[in-house]
Amino acid sequence: MASLSLPARLLRFRRHARNDGHGGVVIRPRSLYIIPTRQGLLLALVLGLMLAGSINYGSNLGHLITFLLAGVWLSTILHTWRNLLGISLRAAQVTPVFAGQDAVFQVRISNHSRLARFGLTLRHKRFRGESTDLPAAETRLLHLSLPTQHRGLLRLPEITLQTIYPLGLFRAWSYAELDLCCLVYPQPATTGTPPVEANYTASEDGDRGVGADDFVGLRGYRLGDSPRHIDWKAFARQRGLLSKQFGGDRTERIELDWDLLPPVDTEQRLSLLCRFVLQAEGETRSYSLRIPGVVIEPGQGEQHKQRCLAALALYGGTA
Amino acid sequence: MKATTDQSLTPGLQLQLYLLTGLVLLPHVPHLPLVVSLFLFAALGWRLASLRLPRLQPGRWLLALVTFLGVLLIYTQHQTLLGRDAGVSLLSAMLVLKTLEVRKRRDLTVTVFIAYFVIVTHFLYNQSFLLLIYLLTILIGHTSLLLTIHRVTPARHFYEPYRRTFWICLQALPIALILFVLFPRLTQPLWHVGVDAGARTGLSERVSPGTISQLIQSSEVAFRVSFKDKVPPRESRYWRALVMWDTDGYSWFTRKEPPLGAADQALIPGDEPIAYRVFLEPHHQRWLYALDLPASRTSNATLTADFLLRASVPVSQPKQYEALSYIDSHIQSSPPSQLRRALQLGNNVTPRQRALVESWQAGGTDAQTIVRIALAYFHEQPFVYTLNPPTYPNNPVEQFLFESREGFCEHYASAFTQLMRVAGIPARMVIGYQGGEYNRLGDYYTIRNYDAHAWSEVWIEQQGWVRVDPTAAVAPERVRSAIQPGLGSIGEPIRFVLSEQGWLGSALGNVAMLLDAAEVNWRMWVLGYSRDQQFSLMREFGLDFLFGGGWTAITLGLVFGVLTLIGLRLLKQGEMKTPPVVRCYRLFCQRMAAIGLARTAHEGPLDFSARSCRQRPDLATQIQEITRLYIGLRYGNRPTPSQWRAFSDRVKRFRPRRVSRAG
Repeated sequence: MASLSLPARLLRFRRHARNDGHGGVVIRPRSLYIIPTRQGLLLALVLGLMLAGSINYGSNLGHLITFLLAGVWLSTILHTWRNLLGISLRAAQVTPVFAGQDAVFQVRISNHSRLARFGLTLRHKRFRGESTDLPAAETRLLHLSLPTQHRGLLRLPEITLQTIYPLGLFRAWSYAELDLCCLVYPQPATTGTPPVEANYTASEDGDRGVGADDFVGLRGYRLGDSPRHIDWKAFARQRGLLSKQFGGDRTERIELDWDLLPPVDTEQRLSLLCRFVLQAEGETRSYSLRIPGVVIEPGQGEQHKQRCLAALALYGGTA
Repeated sequence: MKATTDQSLTPGLQLQLYLLTGLVLLPHVPHLPLVVSLFLFAALGWRLASLRLPRLQPGRWLLALVTFLGVLLIYTQHQTLLGRDAGVSLLSAMLVLKTLEVRKRRDLTVTVFIAYFVIVTHFLYNQSFLLLIYLLTILIGHTSLLLTIHRVTPARHFYEPYRRTFWICLQALPIALILFVLFPRLTQPLWHVGVDAGARTGLSERVSPGTISQLIQSSEVAFRVSFKDKVPPRESRYWRALVMWDTDGYSWFTRKEPPLGAADQALIPGDEPIAYRVFLEPHHQRWLYALDLPASRTSNATLTADFLLRASVPVSQPKQYEALSYIDSHIQSSPPSQLRRALQLGNNVTPRQRALVESWQAGGTDAQTIVRIALAYFHEQPFVYTLNPPTYPNNPVEQFLFESREGFCEHYASAFTQLMRVAGIPARMVIGYQGGEYNRLGDYYTIRNYDAHAWSEVWIEQQGWVRVDPTAAVAPERVRSAIQPGLGSIGEPIRFVLSEQGWLGSALGNVAMLLDAAEVNWRMWVLGYSRDQQFSLMREFGLDFLFGGGWTAITLGLVFGVLTLIGLRLLKQGEMKTPPVVRCYRLFCQRMAAIGLARTAHEGPLDFSARSCRQRPDLATQIQEITRLYIGLRYGNRPTPSQWRAFSDRVKRFRPRRVSRAG
């Protein structure tokens, strides 16, 4: 640990909100920090000037008002502190995003006391999340958007819950670590066409193939045809027994294969594959994905897409 | 993101801010130059208009120009930018100009802080209780704006932020009072720029005919006195303030301040001394009032050779002091140079005056006889004691004595003193107050400006300086009852306050007394709270050993104590109340845990009951009954009190014992 820099070593002494035993964290007095804000310091300065003036002109009522505001200044330390105390945070959910987009983390924030809380803001460093008021015994959902740069799993970093309520003179905050990860897909490449042609193989049976995917036409019933292929509607119209015919190989099957891509670096390949997945999905075509270590059979649909994108996002990860 | 948009302020909030700004400036209007007031309210009006029509909002350059013009205006009006009045103008302008650029939350915060400062400046002009209440209300209004901008959702009721702010301020009040009582007060200002004396009616160091009769029109309080035990009769209550040695024949004054102290042995004490405490209103002068004649033993004041009390600095705050006086006593000795000074005359002594004096001297040459004859002269001749005597522009004494014979106390005193000097008897004029009105409710006497009085002192061998009041010879009622102020026109004899009043009069009088008693406490204990009072208060509580370093410690300790109480209260406030049923059931669970049957977090009451009954069949009936009652009370439709009683009884009687393994 001697290799840690000084700030990093100091960070280890930072107290975090404690685990509350229900998968969240709760803000306890020992994990709560509080310091005056810039406005708080400004008011202290103004009060100093007011006191100097009151002393100079011997104004006792001036003293009284100054001391009253000083009392307010001091007691807002407690009000600010209380406003944050006992708040609990719990990871809610997060939707996967593409690298470069903002990951929107959702955090559930609850007030288990009879005291209404106000102006609670979620943030991470300079990224401000949402603010909310929290009536007694209520739970709300707060969003914190963080920019993403790389594909992979983005863990919700150490977040800060802060408040400057009631008067903005003090800032109380607490650090919390929640177990919430955002899946970041690779950024889709802006150009590039899928290597479809290279892998297109026409069916030997031509259009009248025995595939099962696309409806081709009708023909007379032959013994052995599956009853499921009989056009019962036609039969009902007294047109005799007709069998539906299906072909499959006429439509393109896109095979997205790592090895078929131009020889660019890993991330670019992943970007390209990501683009192709989205394209194929957009054209509602079936596609399969083959990258080192992962093979995903042909398929189509939202779930299939997510599987593929997740595989791309997590490629090479220490899974 | 949301966080960036909520920096802006809603129009409703801005409107509140600008209205409060107007209210905070309003009490300054009488003190500020009219043009400055117009500037301030015009700028505020502009701001309000731009709230409706945003294109009126001034740009940065226009704002800079307006600021420059404002400062220029203030400079031309006050001829300076320093000092109290100019400072207040500048601060007010700052407040208004800041409102012109309010856009975000930060701007509002800064505006509120400036408003706080403006609130404090009001007390430089007026320290009334009503003003304090008014300003406290506005302070709460401003503070609630701060509170409002730090919430996210608007309050359901408009008064909610006000109520919260009120509570915060109320919690801060004990801290304010501790600091107010214990914070050390200075006796000297930190800097002198702009500590200007307020104009106030009162005695002046130069008395011309008409000076005091002008003062009589004012019922402003000069001071109040509470006597320790013995109260001297009204006709002996002469309050001494100034001695006038010199005259130019027109007015009386003192060229040289008398030396301080050294008057100790010169006093012949009469009877027992009279002890009293004076509550003095600030008059921005150094003289203090003392009952004729004060002894030297007086707290925080010095005594001059003329037996006048003097403060070390001009009295600019309400002041309290204790004094000791001997009535019916004389100043025994006076250096010869002073006696010569007490014979000096103006150059307008006429032969007629000399003839008058000579006619008196015919009756006897010793001072006492002449004084007696002179007083008889004033008494017997048709002199009129009036509040509005004619003006005597040329030779006041001559015109008063021989032409109109209408005068007020200063006319009698100055004429008498001058005639004594003509007769070769050293004489001087004394200025002060006479009498005082009793306040039954506060057990003190109020001496107002209309009690101002002038009398003479003459030097009589073997006796010393003897007080002679020629007014008493003309109008003995003057020293026996108070003058009704504000009545009477020129030449009309003075009406004196009659003791008989109707029930309404006496009721009103009681109300006035109550108000005056409240005011005296307000002025003395709040406005005039000083270092001396601080010390005597500490001494009373036996805390005077703290005058050293312990002072700060105890102040901080008390403030910290209050903060702890506030913190505990806040913690208590937020606690979730556990319903008694749940608390009772928890007790049951604790007892179960004590015999080794702890309820796990995921276990519902029924599961727990089933498991416990399996493990301890001997307790099954009890456990099942308690669980049944608990579920009925907690989740049932309409629990009855009898159910609750049965439940709590059963839990209380439930004392399970561990089964021994061996058995």
